[in-house]
Amino acid sequence: MKRHSGLFDVALGALALVSLGIIYAPLAVVWVFSNWQPVRVRGALQLAPFSWDSYVALTRNADILGALGTTLLVGLVSMLLALILATTFAMYYWRTVGVSRQIMQALVFLPFLLPPIVVGLSLLIAFRELDATRGAFTIVVGHTVLLVPVVYRLVLTRLNSLSPSLTEASLDLGASHCQTFYHILLPQLGSALLAGALLGFAISFDETMVTLFLSGSTSTLPIRLWSMMRLGFVPEINALATLVVLAAALATAVFGVMQLPGKRGAR
Amino acid sequence: MDDRRDLWRMGWAAFCLGLPFLFVLAPIGTFILYSFWHNESGALVREFTLENYRAFFADPVFRSIYLQTVALCLGATIVNLVAGYGIALFASRRPPRLRFALILMFMLPLFTSYIIKVYAVRGILGHRGVLNELLIASGLISEPITAFIFSQSAIFLTFIVLYLPFAILPIYLSIERIPENLGTASADLGGSQMDEIRHIILPLSLPGVVVAALFNFVMTFGDFVTPTMVGGTEGFTFGRIVFSQFGVALNWPLGAALAVILLATSVLAVGVAGLAMRWSTAR
Repeated sequence: MKRHSGLFDVALGALALVSLGIIYAPLAVVWVFSNWQPVRVRGALQLAPFSWDSYVALTRNADILGALGTTLLVGLVSMLLALILATTFAMYYWRTVGVSRQIMQALVFLPFLLPPIVVGLSLLIAFRELDATRGAFTIVVGHTVLLVPVVYRLVLTRLNSLSPSLTEASLDLGASHCQTFYHILLPQLGSALLAGALLGFAISFDETMVTLFLSGSTSTLPIRLWSMMRLGFVPEINALATLVVLAAALATAVFGVMQLPGKRGAR
Repeated sequence: MDDRRDLWRMGWAAFCLGLPFLFVLAPIGTFILYSFWHNESGALVREFTLENYRAFFADPVFRSIYLQTVALCLGATIVNLVAGYGIALFASRRPPRLRFALILMFMLPLFTSYIIKVYAVRGILGHRGVLNELLIASGLISEPITAFIFSQSAIFLTFIVLYLPFAILPIYLSIERIPENLGTASADLGGSQMDEIRHIILPLSLPGVVVAALFNFVMTFGDFVTPTMVGGTEGFTFGRIVFSQFGVALNWPLGAALAVILLATSVLAVGVAGLAMRWSTAR
């Protein structure tokens, strides 16, 4: 590898660096403002001395904490539902042949492919036709519909990589279908389900556009933030945002390290 | 015994087809049906009409905002493709570990709250926001630049900040997939680094570019949160108009019809991408 064209690489490197700066700027600003609160001095922006005040205020903001609780609950429930449903659907696709599995797969993937605004208002209109009151339940339905294709994809990929002799051997030895699933397949699906659970929870935690249509008077965190930001500025948002970003960074780093050996092995 | 197995199997099939039917197809069907109904003095009239679609095609305001939004999203997509290609190329030319770390760093913001990022961008671009303050402090300008916020350009800038990672990943993956010996062959035959990029990497990574373009266009076109947050009264987009029919304007059938048009535009983009894909792999 001794074919350098130095200048070209430097230019690309500069582009990468500037882009990193641009996409991280919002996150950096949120963190700085959480510890050095912005103040207006005759209209001009200045920073107050370092403090943890916004974090302390966050722990006392029942509004935000309540929304956080709802978000965690919604995320957990829709994640579990998605794991169960996606595994059932993936098993169906894996074990059967014919048109019906193709139809099922197309329908499962559809919400993932459609613009979120279309998914959101389809469900909104359907719930209105059913006279369902909007709340935690409708949000869970919306999120589950969005998460199922993601988990389904992960599980099906894993199933397809398994050798059919695994289940054949189990059935030959007299195990029932249920036993085979529980003792043979499920352990094999572990990592796919874990990835699906993490990814699903992350998506649900952050979901905004579909949830806006389905939330009614119950607010998840993004919806709460949306309405707060439109009304005006609260310093607690910066503290909360910093914590959320930190948690996401940590989760991504863990996930990345988990992927690292496999990534290199594949090369 | 066999009967029971059959019954079980049928139940399973009914479950696996029924649920997606109920929760995916039925809502979408109802939504499309709504677009052919209309509102009369606040009440829903369930009669077939093309009134909502006519309203879109007849109203110059709808039409011009629609075209403006298409142009805006295409513009942001092109900027992201060019920048994304450069970054993906840069990453692919690093050693494996650094490559992985770089891509991870670009992907990380995707896992952080979308709404918080929009909010932060608003703080940066604001009239007396971080960017203007920095520019004033550095002596480059004396008055804040007002075009940064509550305008079409504000939406454009925010789209770039938010959706750039979506452009990098597909392009990077398609460059990764190019066999290394093609580059070696090119070098053995006396080709320069630039020759390799122009004649090998660029043509072979076009499918990734197509996917990146599709992602960026469809996502920005359907985004109504960013335009609402940073667009102000100047930055109206098509997605915002659709959303406002379900809020302030409260005309659900019209909103449904406009959403069908938004959906049709996305489907058209998928079609164009499919053609581009065929063209880019055929050569």
